[in-house]
Amino acid sequence: MAFAPMGAKASFFEVLDRHRASLLAALSRGGQEPPVQRTRTASSSEVLASIENIIQDIVTSLARNEAPAFIIDNRSSWENIKFEDTVGLQMVSHCTTRKIKSDSPKSVQKFALILKILSMIYKLVQSNTYATKRDIYYTDSQLFGNQTVVDNIIDDISCMLKVPRRSLHILSTSKGLIAGDLRYTEEDGTRVNCTCGASAIAVPSNIQGIQNLITDAKFLLIVEKDATFQRLLDDSFCDKMSPCIMVTGKGIPDLNTRLLVKKLWDLFHIPVFTLVDADPHGIEIMCIYKYGSMSMSFEAHNLTVPAVRWLGLLPSDIKRLNIPKDSLIPLTRRDQMKLDSILKRPYVTCQPFWRKEMEMMADSRMKAEIQALTTLSSDYLSRVYLPNKLKFGGWI
Amino acid sequence: MERTALAVCEILRYLIIHWRCETETSNGALLEGQLVISIEALNSKHQPNALHCVTTIASVRSICGGLVLKKFLKEIQSILRGFSAKLICTSEENSCFPGTSGVTPFQITFEINEKPRGLMIDCLVIKQFLHKIIIVHHKIRFTLSVKVNGFLSTEIFGMENEPTLNLSNGITIVVNCQHYVSRLKFSTAESHCSRIHPVLGHPVTLLIPEDVAGMDLLGNLIMTPAAALCPSPKVFSSQLSRISSVSIFLYGPSGLPLILSNEDQLSTTVFKDTFYFIDWKKYHLCVVPNLDLNLDKDLVLPDVSYQVESSERGQSQIMHLQGQTLLLFLFVDFHSGFPVQQMEIWGVHTLLTAHLSAILTESHTVIQDSIHFTLDQILEERDQAAKAHQKLQASLSVAVSSIMSVVTGSTSGSFRKTCLQALQAADTQEFGTKLHKIFCDITQHRFLHHCSSNMKQLIPEKNNSAQSTEDAHESGSPELLAEISRQAQRKRPKSDSFCHGQEETLAFMTSHRAEPHDASLTPREEEARTVHDRAPAPERASSGSGLEDALWLQEVSNLSEWLSPGSGS
Repeated sequence: MAFAPMGAKASFFEVLDRHRASLLAALSRGGQEPPVQRTRTASSSEVLASIENIIQDIVTSLARNEAPAFIIDNRSSWENIKFEDTVGLQMVSHCTTRKIKSDSPKSVQKFALILKILSMIYKLVQSNTYATKRDIYYTDSQLFGNQTVVDNIIDDISCMLKVPRRSLHILSTSKGLIAGDLRYTEEDGTRVNCTCGASAIAVPSNIQGIQNLITDAKFLLIVEKDATFQRLLDDSFCDKMSPCIMVTGKGIPDLNTRLLVKKLWDLFHIPVFTLVDADPHGIEIMCIYKYGSMSMSFEAHNLTVPAVRWLGLLPSDIKRLNIPKDSLIPLTRRDQMKLDSILKRPYVTCQPFWRKEMEMMADSRMKAEIQALTTLSSDYLSRVYLPNKLKFGGWI
Repeated sequence: MERTALAVCEILRYLIIHWRCETETSNGALLEGQLVISIEALNSKHQPNALHCVTTIASVRSICGGLVLKKFLKEIQSILRGFSAKLICTSEENSCFPGTSGVTPFQITFEINEKPRGLMIDCLVIKQFLHKIIIVHHKIRFTLSVKVNGFLSTEIFGMENEPTLNLSNGITIVVNCQHYVSRLKFSTAESHCSRIHPVLGHPVTLLIPEDVAGMDLLGNLIMTPAAALCPSPKVFSSQLSRISSVSIFLYGPSGLPLILSNEDQLSTTVFKDTFYFIDWKKYHLCVVPNLDLNLDKDLVLPDVSYQVESSERGQSQIMHLQGQTLLLFLFVDFHSGFPVQQMEIWGVHTLLTAHLSAILTESHTVIQDSIHFTLDQILEERDQAAKAHQKLQASLSVAVSSIMSVVTGSTSGSFRKTCLQALQAADTQEFGTKLHKIFCDITQHRFLHHCSSNMKQLIPEKNNSAQSTEDAHESGSPELLAEISRQAQRKRPKSDSFCHGQEETLAFMTSHRAEPHDASLTPREEEARTVHDRAPAPERASSGSGLEDALWLQEVSNLSEWLSPGSGS
């Protein structure tokens, strides 16, 4: 039984180090096409000019007595998304679009809302202030109707102007947490030390602005659920496995959490592992970190970490560890549909081991949460499972 | 009612019922043909201040195949109680017998003496009756010629090329707005949908009071309501968001008008009860009988008319012109398990004519429920249109203010200048005003295009009926918008003078603006022309009647001007 004393010994990380070396070797081999960068950081004046161009086009259309319209990329259409194993899901160069017309009863409201948010972005950029998507929604909640409308329009604008959301001076609300061997300086000069204590640090809202990142971490562990993250904190996992970093997005990760993981990978190229429930939802969250999401595929190059590895909980672990069946949960109809959907996605093709695990889950029609390990012992996860996995390369 | 009009209307009713039965017209198929009514009046030699009138009803193409003359005359005489004039029925071969091949023209004539004013009113009544018939029987063409002491006036009633709608009860109805409401409702500043969109209600069986003497019906009287708002609620205009008047039309079996005159209207007691047809409290409306009969002559006069009262005094006239008119068509038909015979339909008409008030009173609850159901559908559609309009206005307002926010807040001189120049605005205030106007114009144009298929027919270059309305709109231009506005306005018939001495009946095409109800384009027909021969006739009466002739001439020149309050006698 492997047991890592406080602060793991160097030998403990041999397999990890070899894994890291292979990752670096793969990176240096290169030779692939550079990822298509649909968005690039833009200066304030560039953003203002882009918005002015749009307004000018609209006014010119009106002057010709033509109804103006926005041409929006179909971000959430599979036909516009391709898969590259070095990047993940990203939008194709020439994708299909849709028209948001000002003279159609169905779309005139959306046309107006797009203009409204464009004008708000214009003001934010001009005044060098920032707002979250939630702030935007609450400026006129009755007009917008619901938060999802605002979120989608902001993403559409980001895609249309080909600038990241940050350049629009719209922040995403961070909900993620980070703990472990990491220090950095925020944009306003605040120094942050994420060294494990009783509590974790909130993922900052301005990932682009953080500087002077310093870490000796041997690996970065992405934890799906906050409950699991807190359990590991309580078990002083970061100290026991030091040096390491732990991150949680508390479920489906927000943009800032993804940006942070991406930034850490780009800067330090340390192995990234995911600890998710052995269920379709967990697998999907893992895929978001690794390959990206459909809706944000236009920003894939900023968000995806194809080097992510699945550490646990693997469906094969359930059988291997003889986890009692009464702690397993039958797959629901929705689970099965999601699992089928993931199995059909393009990236699963190049992950035969993942496919095998998912097929095992599909065959058994059972799922398990990480908490199922507590049936073996209350601290099995931090004391046995994770150390063994990390020491002996139990990732796929 | 005057005798000439009553006789003409009842004869036409009989002939059309006969025609319909003889042609074995099934539901959906339309009667097609032509009838000519001519009235020639000369100063009576026997009665002072009277005109001797010879009225002739003729069919260009025979519709009397199988008509039993004796029975026809007997039935007509029974309706026309006290009508002393002799009805003479002739044909080209001076006979009309059963078994005739039916290709010989048919003609019926009678002569009576009438006071000039009486004849004047007769002509108006006949005209309205014809107009009401062709709303339903739009393929029948009537020619009405009135010649008084040599002065001839001819008008043709036909709607062959008008847009129509087949209601599921088998009735086809002309849907051109301008037959039902004054064109004053259509502001020139706004585009509008020129069609009504009737909604059919559920049919109800009418109850016949036990004390109503009459035939034993081997079937049921079924009333089916149809309602529409005019102008259409699909027009996006805040002015059209309220109902300002109500017009009710009653039709009997074979799609023939039930009410012939104001007399009939006034004698039908239920019409005096403004709450009979509709419980206005349910719709938060207060209505009063509409006494304003000064309507455009091209309108079909309703059998019952109400005006919605405004809460503001003195605004009723304005409200009447603005706002929408609720059109309510009540179709009464006879249904039995057996093929309906002509005499049954004739009998039903007679029953309804004689006992309309009693039957309606007995059936009040079911009629009102059915009308309410229909009205609820109409008003729901109107409410949805109003909400869509509000949504549109709100969206346009947001769009304009957003653009203004960027333009006024920009520090780029070239950008601001380009925007202002594009709309030819001197300053940002003018820019905002023009921006809003252009947005409104474009969206109104487009949304109107969604409303009806009229737009396709108004684009002269496009002959392909398969082209979508999307394509048609995308080629829109300011010139097209202007053209549409022009064509949307109802042109008044023009009058022309003719050669001196011409007294023959001249038939001209009455072309209410051509709008076929299919998608294909048709060339526009000429505008209706009412012909007035103003030249003095050689056989003009002596100078003693010269003043009367001059007055008559003036009145004949425009029949609609006769419609004034108190002209019901």
